[in-house]
Amino acid sequence: MTLRLADLPRCFQGITPAVVGTCSKDGEPNVTYASHVYFIDEGHVALSRQFFNKTAKNVSENPFVCVQLYDSLTLEGYELDLRFNHSETSGPLFDTMAVRIQAIATHTGMLGVFKLLSADVYDVVSARMIDGFVVGPAPPATDPAGGRGEVRALQVITSRLNQARSLDELIATLLGALHEELGFAHAMLLLPDESGEKLFTIASSGYGESGVGSEVAVGQGLVGAVASERRILRVGRIGNDLRYGRAVRGEVKTAEGECALAPEIPLPGLPDAQSHLAIPLLVQGRLVGVLAVESRDIDAFADWHESFLGVIANQAAMAIETMSVDEDDARPSAAPLDVPEVAPKRVRKFRYYKGDDCVFVDGEYLVRNVPGRIFWRILEAHESEKRTEFTNRELRLDGSLGLPAIKDNLESRLILLRKRLEQKCPDLRLPQTGRGHFRLELDCAFELELRD
Amino acid sequence: MQIRSELVEFLTSGVSLLVGTRDVRLVPACLRAMGVAIAADRTGLTVFVPKATGARTLANLRDNGRIAVTFSRVIDLKGVQIKGKCIGMRDATEAEHALQARYLDAFCGALEEIGMPRPISARFAFWPSVAVEVRAESLFEQTPGPSAGRALEGGA
Repeated sequence: MTLRLADLPRCFQGITPAVVGTCSKDGEPNVTYASHVYFIDEGHVALSRQFFNKTAKNVSENPFVCVQLYDSLTLEGYELDLRFNHSETSGPLFDTMAVRIQAIATHTGMLGVFKLLSADVYDVVSARMIDGFVVGPAPPATDPAGGRGEVRALQVITSRLNQARSLDELIATLLGALHEELGFAHAMLLLPDESGEKLFTIASSGYGESGVGSEVAVGQGLVGAVASERRILRVGRIGNDLRYGRAVRGEVKTAEGECALAPEIPLPGLPDAQSHLAIPLLVQGRLVGVLAVESRDIDAFADWHESFLGVIANQAAMAIETMSVDEDDARPSAAPLDVPEVAPKRVRKFRYYKGDDCVFVDGEYLVRNVPGRIFWRILEAHESEKRTEFTNRELRLDGSLGLPAIKDNLESRLILLRKRLEQKCPDLRLPQTGRGHFRLELDCAFELELRD
Repeated sequence: MQIRSELVEFLTSGVSLLVGTRDVRLVPACLRAMGVAIAADRTGLTVFVPKATGARTLANLRDNGRIAVTFSRVIDLKGVQIKGKCIGMRDATEAEHALQARYLDAFCGALEEIGMPRPISARFAFWPSVAVEVRAESLFEQTPGPSAGRALEGGA
């Protein structure tokens, strides 16, 4: 039976490192690990090149390469004889391979120290299973349906997304549906901030209260690399990639000293996650967010997960784009609330540090930047005028809030502010009363303190 | 070349063992070896090549003898590569079978630390094997990074 490389997806995910053998023009063999073997088609694979090392030198002299790949589940081995065809330093193949390398380089504090120099494309001269490589029975295969049984779940998710009437509802629906219909128990949605240089977590599921409001710099770490490269990133057994990054870091540190290196960036989400899948949400090539899911299983995400999440991401991106532009002049759908004149039981103390652009509640960090400034403005308006009804339009017209003239993200900033209040100060709420309208609801009194 | 004494413990500690060879046309071949012993005078080593998977490697060694052996610790990818010449091949002995079993046990333990369960790693076939005797000629840095491939004063 002819071996089809397309039937070996687990060999190409980098979960179990591949081995690569080369030979110099003088006949000296060399053998090492390949950090990434990428399946292109039955006749071609690509190897990533981060350094001009012995393997690269040998290939420049002698185009023949031998690669061994291993199935991450069964450990079956496969041997490919390759012949170098060409190197790519730009284009879709290069970009796809580069995002993973960049993610690991930035994550381990080595942006610019190592990066993908080229995607080296090889002709597959021959491919075969290595008979006798393993003994004993293989562990049972999982997911024999390969996701085909989940098509209905995809339909359910897209229908649910279609029903969402507001951005807040859309985000809750998206994360809820991913968990309930596809079993993604740990997911987070990040949106770009006004500067476009950072992403902030607007919602997450499976992490308790942590995470909402946390920021990631575009281009840094797994999620940041997905945002800057606008490419999907799937990593199984992340520890392998991090070990590679840290090994290089150790070598650079030995050669150049610690000061040459940036600090390592903490991984978002689960501290013991093994698999990550992050997908950019794009509308006409413009980034509107990043959806990231993770798992403690080493190879939790397969090709079909990537495809399914791609469909969901496209729909979510369009919906986020549409819902972020609200109707400022719509009338409130709920009548103004009569504020009862009973003495509230509790006094919350809010402090705004103008220099750091941060709001604290009772000494605990609440929110910062644009959402912080919005919140402070609302609190001041209530304190001085006893106002409880607000509109998005008045916030947009307030130059002191620093909202950009177009694509101001106001709706998403309000959602973030509401979520932070839910977590840190639930006796103060900002429910929507109609599109573009919201209300300040208080079960407490408050005091304001402004600091530089 | 004489292998530095402080390297011996690392080389025999159950690190990943890769063997590279090439044929008469300079077409390379690679293989995962299972077990190694360093010569008492540290001028060479014996690497154990499983018979089930070793036909191509052994044919290459019979043809020209050139061999590269890479040692890589799975937990941090610290690695070195020894290059040299095959100076003899023979069936491994029962005592060497036991050495290989201990090697596989240590290797599986290291793989377990990085998340590969033993029921999977214990599937590596290693017996019967051929003992390939190698004269060490040069030693190279193999830890990933800008220095990989640099010659080390590993011997001398």
